[in-house]
This record gives sequence, C-alpha cells and structure tokens, in this order.
Amino acid sequence: MSSAFRITQRSVGLSSLSGLQAALSRLQATQSKLASGKAISRPSDSPTGTMSALRLRTSIDRADQFDRNAADGLARLGTTDNALTDGLSTLREVRDAVVQGANSSLSQTDREALAAQVDGLRQSLLAVANTEYLKQPIFAGTAGTAQAYDAAGTYLGDTGVSTRTIAPGVKVAVNTPGQDAFGPAGNDVFKVLSDISNDLRTNPGNLTTTDLANLDSAYVTMQNALSSVGSRYHQIEIMQARNQANQLDTKSQLSDVEGVDLPAATVDLQMQEVAYQAALGATARAIQPSLVDFLK
Amino acid sequence: MGDFNGLRIALSSLYAQQKAIQVTGQNIANVNTEGYSRQRVDMAADSGPVTPAVYSRYPGPGSGVLTGDTTRIRDQFLDLRSYQEHAVDAGLKESQSVLSRVELAFDEPSDDGLSKLISTFLSGFDDVANNPDDMAARAQLVEQGKTLAAGFTQLDAALATQRSSSIAELDSLVGEVNNAAAQIGQLNQNITSAINNGFSPNELMDQRDQLVAQLAEQAGITIQNGDAGQVNVFIGGTALVRGTQVSPLRVDVGTDPAQTVRVTWAADNYPAGVSGTAGGLLSAVNDVIPRYRAGLAAVAQQLATDVNAIHQTGYDLNGNQGLPFFTTDPSGNVIVNPAIVADPKLVAASASPTATRDGSVAQQIAELTGVGDAYQQLVVRLGVESQAVNRRVDVQASIVQHVDQAKEATSGVNLDEEMTNMLQFQHAYDAAARFMTAVDQTLDTLINSTGLVGRG
Repeated sequence: MSSAFRITQRSVGLSSLSGLQAALSRLQATQSKLASGKAISRPSDSPTGTMSALRLRTSIDRADQFDRNAADGLARLGTTDNALTDGLSTLREVRDAVVQGANSSLSQTDREALAAQVDGLRQSLLAVANTEYLKQPIFAGTAGTAQAYDAAGTYLGDTGVSTRTIAPGVKVAVNTPGQDAFGPAGNDVFKVLSDISNDLRTNPGNLTTTDLANLDSAYVTMQNALSSVGSRYHQIEIMQARNQANQLDTKSQLSDVEGVDLPAATVDLQMQEVAYQAALGATARAIQPSLVDFLK
Repeated sequence: MGDFNGLRIALSSLYAQQKAIQVTGQNIANVNTEGYSRQRVDMAADSGPVTPAVYSRYPGPGSGVLTGDTTRIRDQFLDLRSYQEHAVDAGLKESQSVLSRVELAFDEPSDDGLSKLISTFLSGFDDVANNPDDMAARAQLVEQGKTLAAGFTQLDAALATQRSSSIAELDSLVGEVNNAAAQIGQLNQNITSAINNGFSPNELMDQRDQLVAQLAEQAGITIQNGDAGQVNVFIGGTALVRGTQVSPLRVDVGTDPAQTVRVTWAADNYPAGVSGTAGGLLSAVNDVIPRYRAGLAAVAQQLATDVNAIHQTGYDLNGNQGLPFFTTDPSGNVIVNPAIVADPKLVAASASPTATRDGSVAQQIAELTGVGDAYQQLVVRLGVESQAVNRRVDVQASIVQHVDQAKEATSGVNLDEEMTNMLQFQHAYDAAARFMTAVDQTLDTLINSTGLVGRG
C-alpha cells in the first residue's frame, strides 16, 4: 500500500478483513490437507503431481494384476511339476520291469505278470497326463477338451502355449503341451509302454534292443519337460518377488506425491494459527480508536 | 458600505458553517455505507459587486462567504479503472468456479475416478486370459466394462448438467442486468429533475454509481457522462442505458449443433460484447465445458476403437470371430455390445477358433496403455488450466484491492478528518457569532451612546 494514500476507517477495516480472510483460508487449506491426509485432492493442486499420482496408481493396479497372473502361473506350473515327477517315477518302475523282463530265465507266466504291471503303470501314467487344474487338463495345450489323452492314449489336445504376463512385456509359458512331456503324438510314451507290454508277452527279444532305448528317450523327454517347468517356476518366483518389491516402492512413491507431509503440515498449521491470531489482535487494536475517543 | 454589512457577513458565515457541520454529520452517518462518497460544501469568499462605477464603488472587505453546492468527492478515472478491473475479476472468478466444479466431477486422483475404472477393466482381460473358459471371469469382465462405460456416461452427464445450470445462471444474470439498467435509467431521470429543481442529487448519484459498479461486475461496461448529471452505460460500444432510454439484453441459445449460447440485444438479436460474470459464464458454456466433454468423448471413443481393434481379431468360446466389444447407443454414448452383455461367451479371448483355452488376445487388450494415457493427459490439462486461472484470480484480486483502496482513499470517510472538520466549523461558527456580537456592540455604541455629550 502506498503511503501517499489517504487512509479511512473503512479502508483499514476492509484491508484488515481481507488480510484476515486470506489468513483464515490458508489455515483452512492446511487443515483440510491434514484432515484428508492428501496433498493433492484435485488436479489443480499440482498438475504434475496429479500426472505422477495417476501413473503410479495405474502401475500399482497393473502390478496387482501381474501378481495375480504370477500366482495363477505358479499354481499351474506347480501342478505340472508334481504330475511330471509322478510320471518319471512311473517310468522308472517300467524300466525296472523291462530290465527284469529281459532276463532270459523268466517264465512266460512271469512275463505275463510283468506285462500286466506295465499295463497298470501305463494306466497311471495316463491318469498323470490327464491331471487337471481348475477342471482344465494341464497337458492339453490350449484346446478346450475335457481330457488331454483318451483311454487308448490318443492325444486330444493341441500344441498351443498358454502364457501369463508377469511384468511389463514379460510373458512366461505356464503350460506344457502333451507332446513336450510325453513325446510326439503317435510315437509317444504311451505307444512305448504298450510296445513294451506287447513285447513282454510275445517278443522279449525286442526289450533290450529297441524298447529300453525308446523308454530312456521318453524318460529324457519328460525329464527335460520337468526341468523346463522348474526353471519357469523359478523365473516367475523371481519376477513375483521383484514385482512385490516394486509394488512397495511404487506405493511409497505415491504417498510421497499424493500424501501430506505430516510434520511439515503440522508446523505450517501451527504457524498459520499464530499468524491468524496475530492478525486478529492487530485488527482489534487498529479498528477501535479514532479521534472521537479523545475529544471531549 | 452599509452599516449593517458586518451583520450580513456574520450571518453568511453562520449559515455556511452550519451547513458544513450538517454535511460533516452526513459524512459521519455514512462512514460505513457501501458506495457513499464523502461530501464537501463548496465555500467561496463573497467579494461584493464586481462591476465598478463612478459613484458605486465598493471599497469594503467583501460581504462574507458564499455557500455553494455540496459536491461529492470522487475520481472519475478511478471509477472507470475500477469498473474494468472488477469486470476482469468477476469473469475470472466465474471461470475459476466452473473449472473447480469440472474438477470435482472428474474426481481425480482418487480410488473411484475413471482412471481406476479403466485400469480395473483392462486388468479384467488378464483374469479372462488366465482362465479363458471360466464364465465367472468373463461375466466379471463384462460387468467391469459396463461400469466403465457408465462412468464415462455419468461424467459426461454431470458436465452437461453443469452447462445447463450455467445457462440458467446466465439467464437470471441477464435479468438482473436489465433490471439494474432500468433502475439506472430511472435514476438518471430523477437526478436531472433534482438538479433542475435545485435539490442535491448526490445521494441519487451514489445509488446510481452503485448500480453501475454492479453492472460492471456482471457484464463489463464503460460509462460516459451525459447531460444534466446523467450517465450513459455502454456494453461493447453499444448503449445499454442512454439517458433515460434502456436497451435490454437477452440470452439466445443457438440452434447450431453445439447450441452456442450468446447474449444479444433484445431489439435486434445482435450479439452484445459482454464480459465480467456474464463473459465468464459464456466461456464456460461455449468453451470450457464443451471442450472437456469433447475430450472425454475422444477418450471413450479411443477406448472403444483400441479394444475393438484387438477384440475383433480374436475368437469367442463358440469359435466365432470376435464382435466389437464396445458399440455406441443411439445417444452416442459408448456401451458394451449388448450381445456380449447377454452372453459373456462372446468375449473373444482366444487367437484361434479351436483353442478355447487360449487367452492371448485378451492378454493383448490387458496391455493397452493408450486409453489410460489419453485420460491422464485430459485430467492434467484440466489441472493446468484450473491452476492458471487460480493464479490469475489471485493476481487480479490484489489489483482490485489496490484500485478499491485508491477509490476509498479518494471518496471514503475518515472519522479523524471529519472530527477535525467538525471542530473547525464549530469554532468558525462560534467566532462568527462572536463577530456578530462585536458588530452589535459597535452599533449599540453608535445608536445608544453617541451624541449624548453633556446629558449628564
């Protein structure tokens, strides 16, 4: 205010009032920040802060979804891992039977018994191959069939790979199509097992020449599938842990951007209260006296 | 010089001081009256006859004081400046309040704004991709899609409501402007007749200036002094009030697709160049609100286009090519395709007609970021615009305060000053009375005590 102005009681009153209102509105703004705990409650409070807040919120939502995707993937791969471990132990039992059956001292009856055992093992391997997760056969690729293999050992699925997005741009396959675990359709482990069962009954000579080699190669295929499942499981676990760490980080960034700095806001509030009281006191003194009070 | 001239001088002084005391009283009485301008009695020394003649010369000291008009102390240039600054201030405040209501409607950043709905909806596609033949995940996705589409529609409706309430506000504002203009016309007439009849028009003029200041805030005006104490009021160079003639304004809602709203002269429907609150409202209904509605519609359209483009490359659970996920209803709002709402099996998640447990198309949709980005930019634009207006309002408020202070400094009543004046006039009155006593005693001496020599 320029000192050249003629000052009137009304102008003192008006400027005191506008000063008081400004002080009170600052006080109210700080108080509402403290009460809501938010430094940004509308975009104009800080357009750049709003941009960050929106981006961070979106990335938190996205990361939540990645976490869900990862959990789903881990469950599927875990189920696959169990199934393949079972499958491998079944194949080891078959191998024992083959080695035993190749012994020339065995009688036909003994071989019949072994063949029956192999048939039984084939059945349980089929059950393994039809393992389900959430009523979906896990070895059927992406086909919508109820089973991956029928009773005869024919593959009903497809070669589709199903992936889960576990981080921005990172997709991991979470299924193992039948051929990758049990060999190519028509020449798969079920064919190998039925050959073994036939040879035990009719042609024991083949057991050592071809069957054992075929069985070993089926074993290797399944083992490879298992190790691939294990490494993918591990990859998802790592990404999930990293994702969760990021999530914490992002949430703390969001509260930095959006949240109110409590100590600073409390100090502000205190200072504004003092300023407001000082303004009130000064106004009370400035408005009262005029010459009227001093003339007789 | 007559013998009684001294008495006349004393009498003129008594009258003058008495009137000055009364005016001081009037000033004190109106110390807190909004729009009151302090008044002063114009006094001038009466120098007696000014036409010299051989036998009629006036060698005396003058014949007292002339009591002139009581004038308002007011600076017309400050008034004009004040009208302008108040108009800008009112316009900005209106824009500020409109933008702040738009911000409230957007409700960002929060956990229930559109931004959240967009990311929830897109994430829903990942849930479908995780279990492509799970009907629950599909039904949930469709619900999320409906919620999102409804979110867009509701926000647009909220903005449309704001626009129509702003138009209603403009309508009643123009009514008030016409009313004030009519009152100014009437006051102009009263002022002229007061002047012609020799009354003081000051209080009428203060009332009129109050109305003019109100018009300045409401519609932005300029003024020009007319004849016989009248003022003419102009909006955008055209007379709203000329003397006692008033040309009313009206609100015209256009029939063009954008339904452009104009404030026009009722006589010829020609647009009036209003500013102030009316200008702020016009920019809200013709610019701000339509701009954010269009921005929002563009985001909704982008959502539909982006999602549909990918969705239509996929195959649904029945092995059929994907339908558009979003369509538009007859009123132009984006909605989830009613066929998909009726049968969530039609969500096309798979990249192949036979692989029903493939979710790669749904995964692609989940990774769309363009819609979220476009929406965020819209919100940030709103924030920047609103923040800029907030700053301008603050700056303008201090300008207005300064101008008001300058006006108050000129026209306001200072009690100390009035008290001082009162003492001054009171003492002058006392002195004039004393002077009259002195003249009286001189005459007494002359009449009663002269020529009595030797009477004993």
